[in-house]
Amino acid sequence: MNRILSAGFRLSLFTLIFAASPLLAQKTRPAKIKAAALQIEMIQSDEIKLPAEFQVALYENLIRQLGKQGFSHVYRDGDRNAASVAGLVVLHSTVRGFKAGSERARQVTTVSGATSITIHCQFTSSDGTSLLEQDVNGKVRFFGGNLKATYDFAKKAAHVANENFFTPGRE
Amino acid sequence: MTSRSTTVLVGVTSLFAGLFIPVGNAQQVSGPVKVVQLTGLVGVKDNAKGTLDVENGQLHFVHGKASTDVSASSIQDVVTGADSQRAVGGTIGLMSMAAPYGGGRVLSLFRSKIETLTVQYRDADGGLHGAIFTMPVGTSEVIKKELVAQGAHTTAAGDSTPPASSSTSPSKEQKQ
Repeated sequence: MNRILSAGFRLSLFTLIFAASPLLAQKTRPAKIKAAALQIEMIQSDEIKLPAEFQVALYENLIRQLGKQGFSHVYRDGDRNAASVAGLVVLHSTVRGFKAGSERARQVTTVSGATSITIHCQFTSSDGTSLLEQDVNGKVRFFGGNLKATYDFAKKAAHVANENFFTPGRE
Repeated sequence: MTSRSTTVLVGVTSLFAGLFIPVGNAQQVSGPVKVVQLTGLVGVKDNAKGTLDVENGQLHFVHGKASTDVSASSIQDVVTGADSQRAVGGTIGLMSMAAPYGGGRVLSLFRSKIETLTVQYRDADGGLHGAIFTMPVGTSEVIKKELVAQGAHTTAAGDSTPPASSSTSPSKEQKQ
């Protein structure tokens, strides 16, 4: 009888530990930074030659995905309205790596021809203080055109923004 | 037996001719050009088909009954490029992937050449926008020249579009 009780106690203890671990992990997550609005700078690719259509697609997809993530005020590069916003966070993006890939190779072989792009994302305050820096990549491995990699990047970058920043009144 | 093989031969020839004749028909056109707006224009859905024209200092995109104008003077950069797309696309192209013995993959080898026109412009508040269009071979440079003549700016001087017969393509793998 004692053995059954002991086993039951151990089982309860293990269950408690496993159930509590995600809760403990959530507590260690860094606090989100307040961002009244976001301003997206045009993607820079000085060192790496990036086709113009990729540059524009990255920029447009990024703005769209940030809007979908719930950031109500997303300003474009050069927008004069952003200058007067207090608590503005500016996203600077610089291309660090680019492999053009081949849609034809993807469709014919499945395993080769992947398009990939790596972009260094730096979130700064309006006075230039760095708040967060992270490399984000975009890939298209199997189906779709090469520009689909820009959509993949935008989704991931918007997720990073959502994980680390909050807009007052949104949450 | 001979007539059957002749029929098959004619059929195959017609198929290949249909795939490659559009490239041969590439020409310098004036007036509206049939394009696909991939992304970027305000109020226009992605992959919207329409016509593109430059008139009265405006880049004029008509899709269905609606139209969108971008002032040439607000355009900061116009860049042309070459690309290719599947000759058999859409639903049929997707369904063909399930064809037995790799039949769908063989279809993927056939691609038609297209050109891209990328435009960066500023709105009334100074916000930067970018729009990407795809169009038939030989038309993007014409539109670019018309835009520049009517006040658009460009960072890429000269003819940036490789000739249709060139093997250079953005799909060519390059690792940097």
